[in-house]
Amino acid sequence: MLTSVLVAAVSLALFWMAAFTLWWQMHAWRTPEVLASTRFGRPDGGEHLSFSLLLPARHEQAVLDHTIQRLLESTHTDFEIIVIVGHDDPETTAVAEAAARRDARVRVVVDTHEKKNKPKAMNTALPHCRGDVVGVFDAEDQVHPELLAHVDHAFRTTDADVVQGGVQLINFHSSWYSLRNCLEYFFWFRSRLHLHAQKGFIPLGGNTVFVRTAVLREADGWDPDCLAEDCDLGVRLSSVGKKVVVAYDSDMVTREETPGSLMSLLKQRTRWNQGFLQVYRKKDWQQLPGFGQRLLARYTLMTPFLQAFSGVIIPLNAAVALFLDVPVGVAFLTFLPLVTAAVTFVFEVVGLHDFGKQYGLRVRFVHYVKLVVGGPFYQVLLAGAAIRAVWREQRGRNDWELTTHVGAHLTAAEPIREDVPA
Amino acid sequence: MTSTLPAVTTPKVPAQRRPVPTAGSTGRTSPPLRLLSSRPDLLLCAVLLLAILAVQGWNIADYPTLSDDEGTYLAQAWAVQEGRGLAHYTYWYDHPPLGWIQIALLTWIPSALDPGLMTVGSMRVAMLLVSAASAVLVYVLGRRLSLPRWAAGLGMALFGLSPLSVVLQREIFLDNIAVMWLLLAFCLAASPSRHLWHHFGAGLAAAAGVLTKETMLVVLPALLVTMWRHGHADTRKFALTGAVTACTLAGLSYPLFALLKGELLPGAGHVSLWDGIKYQMARPGSGFILDPGSGSYGVLHSWLYYDRVLPVGGLAGALLLLVVHRWSVTARALAGPALAVVILAAVALRPGGYLPAMYIIGALPFLALVLAGATASVAHAALRRWRAEGERRAVTGGRYALAAVLALAAGAYVVPKWYDGDRTAVTADANAPYRQASKWLGREVADPADTRVLVDDALWLDLVHEGYRPGLGVIWFYKADLDPAVTKTLPHGWRDLDYVVASPTVRRDARDLPNVRAALRHSTPVAVFGTGADRIEIRQIAGGAR
Repeated sequence: MLTSVLVAAVSLALFWMAAFTLWWQMHAWRTPEVLASTRFGRPDGGEHLSFSLLLPARHEQAVLDHTIQRLLESTHTDFEIIVIVGHDDPETTAVAEAAARRDARVRVVVDTHEKKNKPKAMNTALPHCRGDVVGVFDAEDQVHPELLAHVDHAFRTTDADVVQGGVQLINFHSSWYSLRNCLEYFFWFRSRLHLHAQKGFIPLGGNTVFVRTAVLREADGWDPDCLAEDCDLGVRLSSVGKKVVVAYDSDMVTREETPGSLMSLLKQRTRWNQGFLQVYRKKDWQQLPGFGQRLLARYTLMTPFLQAFSGVIIPLNAAVALFLDVPVGVAFLTFLPLVTAAVTFVFEVVGLHDFGKQYGLRVRFVHYVKLVVGGPFYQVLLAGAAIRAVWREQRGRNDWELTTHVGAHLTAAEPIREDVPA
Repeated sequence: MTSTLPAVTTPKVPAQRRPVPTAGSTGRTSPPLRLLSSRPDLLLCAVLLLAILAVQGWNIADYPTLSDDEGTYLAQAWAVQEGRGLAHYTYWYDHPPLGWIQIALLTWIPSALDPGLMTVGSMRVAMLLVSAASAVLVYVLGRRLSLPRWAAGLGMALFGLSPLSVVLQREIFLDNIAVMWLLLAFCLAASPSRHLWHHFGAGLAAAAGVLTKETMLVVLPALLVTMWRHGHADTRKFALTGAVTACTLAGLSYPLFALLKGELLPGAGHVSLWDGIKYQMARPGSGFILDPGSGSYGVLHSWLYYDRVLPVGGLAGALLLLVVHRWSVTARALAGPALAVVILAAVALRPGGYLPAMYIIGALPFLALVLAGATASVAHAALRRWRAEGERRAVTGGRYALAAVLALAAGAYVVPKWYDGDRTAVTADANAPYRQASKWLGREVADPADTRVLVDDALWLDLVHEGYRPGLGVIWFYKADLDPAVTKTLPHGWRDLDYVVASPTVRRDARDLPNVRAALRHSTPVAVFGTGADRIEIRQIAGGAR
């Protein structure tokens, strides 16, 4: 009897969790009107805002110049690029300064912090920003030339304080996990973030994010001690009622690539999870006025851990139902979470198809197979990262994992992504 | 990670921008987004609903004749209420149990207030709820499929007031409940907001329909067509896969249920879903429907006896709509229901198939909608087609005169026939013999608790309320031959019985049931109610072992 009650309770909890996550994940496709509203409005040609684009670069001499050149191709007429380099990184500095000599719109700011991380670098540059709006990009981002014009338009027509553009991992064919990783981004930026913007609680992404300079200064910039400073900024700004607008256009997204190995994906995910935990514990989200908003905040920031938990418990629960002697009704309930998982799988398959269509990429049958077969393994990876994050946070290890490499003079530049999809 | 050169993965992506979708795919009368806020719609719907409830509800217990199947489902619903499992005899996967679980829910409160109400005659009232829901859904669906208000109302009236509908929808048939679910699915599929979760819900409702009565499976392609037509290119693939997934997963709960009970596959000593399906698929055919003398032909004529307008007119309407598909917006909007009619007709026409009398219930709402749509199409052709801007008044007047003549002619043909049919339905008493037989068995038999009697399913619950022991005291007659758990208690066959109540169903089926046949042969009537083929005899077994 006790087993039955327990199994039923766990099953129902898991079911509702999965159902809500699915509901939110599919937000953008709820109606054709919602889908249409997630796109950028077409720019009207008027350009009234000036931009300061921050480009933190660390050991990224190989890609930096290309990124700057592409940013300079922007059709917008009023922007500056501030490249932030470390005082201990002469190679990148050299590339940045060469670019600054060629074009007056490029400036270089040197970060002299002993221990370096992205929020510190950006805080260093914040006082130097002259534009009305600060935008953040990573050194290897491919930015669309018309993005700034669209963002300008979005700021003016919606009266927003923050505009978050789309970021999309593209190399889905590289490996089984990059396939899932790409799709995670797709669902996050294409769909879920819009729901967050609508509900007034949003963890921002790490790049292609634009904030009015005054708002950013008022908020004291980024939190230098947070591992997910981008998420934290979004939470702090939305908690005090700043208006965040999200726009996604497949031809306007910033394109990126997935981490190069499973290990680096695990580390990246660990850092985000730990960052989410930190943001959760900072409790800025408690200022949110609505109960529903606070619940959404709580749930979103806990998602990695709930995900890990459910990944373990769903199969266990089903096994209990099949092999232990529970009443048929209770056994039925244990299949509910499995049903939502199946629905999620199906929507992921359709999402992959849509992703291929949107980006003009050829998705083959084998990719769909990989997507489905890889699902449980990816779940294991996520669970591992979640457990690892809790472990590190418990032991007080909240350094940027990459900083241990910094002194070691990396031969291959190893950029890290600072954006925060779930 | 190592950085790759950014230019590598930059395929030229075509712009995906599309204009903001415009609402409404077809139709000259776009329905209001929320029918609930439209007063004329509410009013029309309410008036029609009252009329339908009055005609269907009046005299519901006494007409038509109690059917064996009604007894079966209501008795199984009673078993569910009593906590005796899914049936009071072994549940053998003849149908998915969702249908009578719903009947159990519908009749829960009245039977809790007065257990004696749980008999076929009195519980037919519960079907009024189902009829009402279905009728309203027909109206909503009509509006959502862009029918003008009057045509949607016509569809609802055809659906609820045809004498054929009145007779069939009064009865406690699983098909009536399944139709309600299917209509809900169609309404959700045609949701004007084209919401992903409405389509998902349509899938769930369709699954509920199929799990209520499995024959609804054949209508699903028509549902899919409706959903496709009402989807938007940008979200359609999510909506459709969502619906299909929802329907499939919910439908799988039935085999899962069998699996959890260890009854999915056949095995010694237990029933199985596999055997149940095999039985349904191997049911002896009732012959070709157009072959006079076949059972199916008889069934067809039993439908046409009550009403020709809806079945024949609806079928003709469906064919008309399919033919004018290219030119008529109404025809395109009604593609789903028209397809449903065509599929159901095709299935009925398969030679050698089994055609049960309630088969047409699944087609009634679609026949009604299609007939209403065809009428709207004809009205549109008469009043609007080739109408120039400055048409002469005389011509316009001629158009209206033509429409009026057509309407009057149709009314003159239909109304008297339906008036007669519906008058019979609200006045005739077909069930007096049943009531008298039940009363007699309660009054004249000294010790009901220790009396064993074979009855048909329609009378079974009455006798349970009269104090007979459910299952082995009062016995569904065919269980005496077909259920090992029952025959085991009849080691001496007919000699172990006291009475057999020979209703038309019992006499008809006894041919294939040796124990029942023997019981009839070794018994003599002690009371006879009614006359002719419809009489009910209570026969006492003579020379038995009891």
